[in-house]
Amino acid sequence: MLPLPISGLLRRLLCLLPCCLASQPLLAEETLRILTWPGYADSDLVQEFAERYGVKVDVSLVSNDDNLREQLSRNQGGNYDVFAANTAEIQHYIEAQLVQPLQAGDIPNTRRQLWRFRNLQSIPGITQGAATYAIPYTYAEMGLIYDRQQFSSPPDSLASLWDPRYQGRVLAYDGSSHNYSITRLLLGGAPFQIADQDFAAVNAKLIELRRNVLTFYNLPEESVSLFRNHKIALLYANYGRQQLKLLQDAGADVGYVIPKEGALAWLDCWAISRGAKNPHLAQQWINFTLEPRISRELTRRQGLANTLEAPAQSSNQDQIVWLEPVEDAARRAHLWARIRSGDSLPALDTP
Amino acid sequence: MTFSIRFKLASLLAVFGILISGLTGYYAYNSSRSMLLQAAERDLLTATQVLGRSLQASLAGASQDVRLLASLAPSRQLDAPSPASQEAEDGLAATFTSLLKIHPEYLQIRLIGRTEHGRERVRVERDGQQLLRVRGRQLQEKAHFPYVFEALSLQPSQVRLSPIVINHEHGTHSAQDKPSLIISGPTIGPASSAGHALIVLNIDLNRLFQQLKADLPAHYQVYLSNEAGDILIHPDASLTFGFDRGQRILLQSYFDSLASLLDGSRSSLVSTHHNPHAERELISAFVRLPLDDDAGKRQVILGLSQPAELITRDIGLLGWAIAKLVAILSLLSLLLSALAARALTRPLQEMMQAIQRFSKERSFSPLPLQRRDELGELARSFQAMQEEIVEHLNQLNQSRNALDHLAQHDPLTGLPNRRMFFERLQQAISSAKRTQQPLALLFIDLDYFKEINDRHGHARGDEVLKAVARLLRSATREVDTVARLGGDEFVILFNVLEESQDIQRIVCKLHERFQTSLRIDGQELNIRASIGVSCYPQDGDSAERLIQHADRAMYAAKRDGRNTFAFHADSAQGE
Repeated sequence: MLPLPISGLLRRLLCLLPCCLASQPLLAEETLRILTWPGYADSDLVQEFAERYGVKVDVSLVSNDDNLREQLSRNQGGNYDVFAANTAEIQHYIEAQLVQPLQAGDIPNTRRQLWRFRNLQSIPGITQGAATYAIPYTYAEMGLIYDRQQFSSPPDSLASLWDPRYQGRVLAYDGSSHNYSITRLLLGGAPFQIADQDFAAVNAKLIELRRNVLTFYNLPEESVSLFRNHKIALLYANYGRQQLKLLQDAGADVGYVIPKEGALAWLDCWAISRGAKNPHLAQQWINFTLEPRISRELTRRQGLANTLEAPAQSSNQDQIVWLEPVEDAARRAHLWARIRSGDSLPALDTP
Repeated sequence: MTFSIRFKLASLLAVFGILISGLTGYYAYNSSRSMLLQAAERDLLTATQVLGRSLQASLAGASQDVRLLASLAPSRQLDAPSPASQEAEDGLAATFTSLLKIHPEYLQIRLIGRTEHGRERVRVERDGQQLLRVRGRQLQEKAHFPYVFEALSLQPSQVRLSPIVINHEHGTHSAQDKPSLIISGPTIGPASSAGHALIVLNIDLNRLFQQLKADLPAHYQVYLSNEAGDILIHPDASLTFGFDRGQRILLQSYFDSLASLLDGSRSSLVSTHHNPHAERELISAFVRLPLDDDAGKRQVILGLSQPAELITRDIGLLGWAIAKLVAILSLLSLLLSALAARALTRPLQEMMQAIQRFSKERSFSPLPLQRRDELGELARSFQAMQEEIVEHLNQLNQSRNALDHLAQHDPLTGLPNRRMFFERLQQAISSAKRTQQPLALLFIDLDYFKEINDRHGHARGDEVLKAVARLLRSATREVDTVARLGGDEFVILFNVLEESQDIQRIVCKLHERFQTSLRIDGQELNIRASIGVSCYPQDGDSAERLIQHADRAMYAAKRDGRNTFAFHADSAQGE
């Protein structure tokens, strides 16, 4: 699974934050070692936690999933107590036995979370059997952004991306996995599991998408300039609400919808590593981040949704589809490269 | 002391000399160093500008090729699939092929139609060493690529230059995954026509730069970035096209001075700097270069760098040469200082020796009197002073001699006085004691001198005394001493007597002389004297006793009736 948890722009800004923070509490016997993403454990909040519990906190930051895997696999997860990863990655860590089960009941603030984040069994990737391995912390869904001037009523379906009325005024994202997943969502199948015989239909639909869009963008900034220069009516928001904010900041009169077919979303969760020296303190940290004030800070500072409150302007909120590993990422990438290059169906069928 | 002055002077001059040559060397080195650096920077900037112009010229040429091809693709013939359009396409393909043959940096030339979602109509591209015409199903739909949808709105003869990116279009043979720049332009004809199409040319960026930098020295390194600073060409290939891997690797983070170029405030810059990423110090030149001839939107930052050590090595050699020169000059100034100090202090030394000789021996030494400088003046002053001193000394000696004479002689007769006589007597006694030779002392007192004085006056008396002195002097030998003790009393010391009998003879002779009259102021006067004689060693061995005894003998002679003489030995016997 290859979602970008935070936009490139935001990532770059966050990388400016100090990489390590060591607070000095009165009683510095215990140390909590956190491995996380920029923005998830800001130094002032970490300081507050350290003072409240009289512990020392070491924060290490990672910038991508591969980096996280590398850090966590060292010393069998013994180098860190608690870390944040998306659901697909948590599944990997469960399989690799690098995480330990936890009890949501031991973390009182989970009771403040929205129901869909408390219903852990419904979230793929973070449970195994009866055991829970992770607690959701933040998420972003990939909805549709539309130009209010060009839509009398908000589009409510992914099908609008294919709508010939907007031909040449649609922007899609240049990502193989997500494009296959949303096309599959539209066609009404399991987005992350496409059977061999079903690929042809998805390919054909993607070629149709290609013929309807102006182009495929990569970076959020790129989508903004294309949006402004080419009178774009509709775009697939791979970067979610952050992208919406970027467009609004650029002066665009845009709206954001979650299509009725559902929106792909990544969900970052806290998990406790198998080698944790102080699982109890790790639980206290998770509990701390789920305090309303701390969770709201995440939303305020990073523009990311928290798990306690439903975001404003929400419709189809229940249609969120948490990302899962796909059946064959390499196959999707290869096919997508050919579709994106302009191959048509007969050519696609030939190797 | 002279050595000290000479040493000090020589040291001072040498220090000045060394200081001046050292400073001159230092400034010469500094200015040459900056000149060398500036020349290197200028050369580098010129090379960068030339490279930039070549790049612009190449791209302008490529744009011209696109325009030419656009004019060769008459839209009418390409309108609909027909034998005529087939023929026109074949013709274009042949032209594309020839052009690709001439330009090894061209990767692909295409005619892309507006219809069928930007389907490629004619496509010829490089596949390794050979050229390939892509046909049928392999032709792709390209309407969603910016080089198509943005170029379609261009005016005829306008062209669009794409950003330089890695070409990820699948199935493009040699062009695939290569850094490339795409020039696209619309064919001539009404835009509404179905045959309206684009000529699209792919240029291999690396191949192009290989050609462009062929003339550059091998140690020049080439840098290229886009308008935002994303590195496209860098000596370290791993830093290029970071954005293609989801990273931003920016040239300005390696060359901090580039900010002014990127924000448009400058169009070129040169810098020598050591950046933390590079191991070596680099001299680098960058220019901001508009690539398209009309809009000027597409710009790149082009740079060349060379290791500063190539220049600093030359500078090092230069510094070494200057250091050697300074060392030689310093030695020379040391030598010259020593010579100059010697030349300057030698007359001083000579003068000092002259002064020392003068003060020791009162002798004149040659002085540098003829010199026209301060030393000559000093010598002349000294000469004058010497002369004055000598003159003064002579005067002093004369007056001292006169005083000495006055102290030892009787002013009236010029005879030694009592004091001198005593000295002589004592000397004679001491020498007689050693030589065992006899001495004789005569005490002479004039007879009736008081009457002479009374009768003829004191002046005449004095004349008498003078005449007597002359008489006594003439009657004695040079070695004998005649003295006036005072009044009319005279004494004579006979210094060397052969034997005692001689004195008898001498006294008789002297007595006889007193028997003749003396002519004084034309007047004959009879002057008589009573003479007492004492002899050494018989009559005493001290001056006092000899005088005393001679005096007694003289009184004895007086008692004998004056005008006679008496020996002390006889008179003493008489008593």
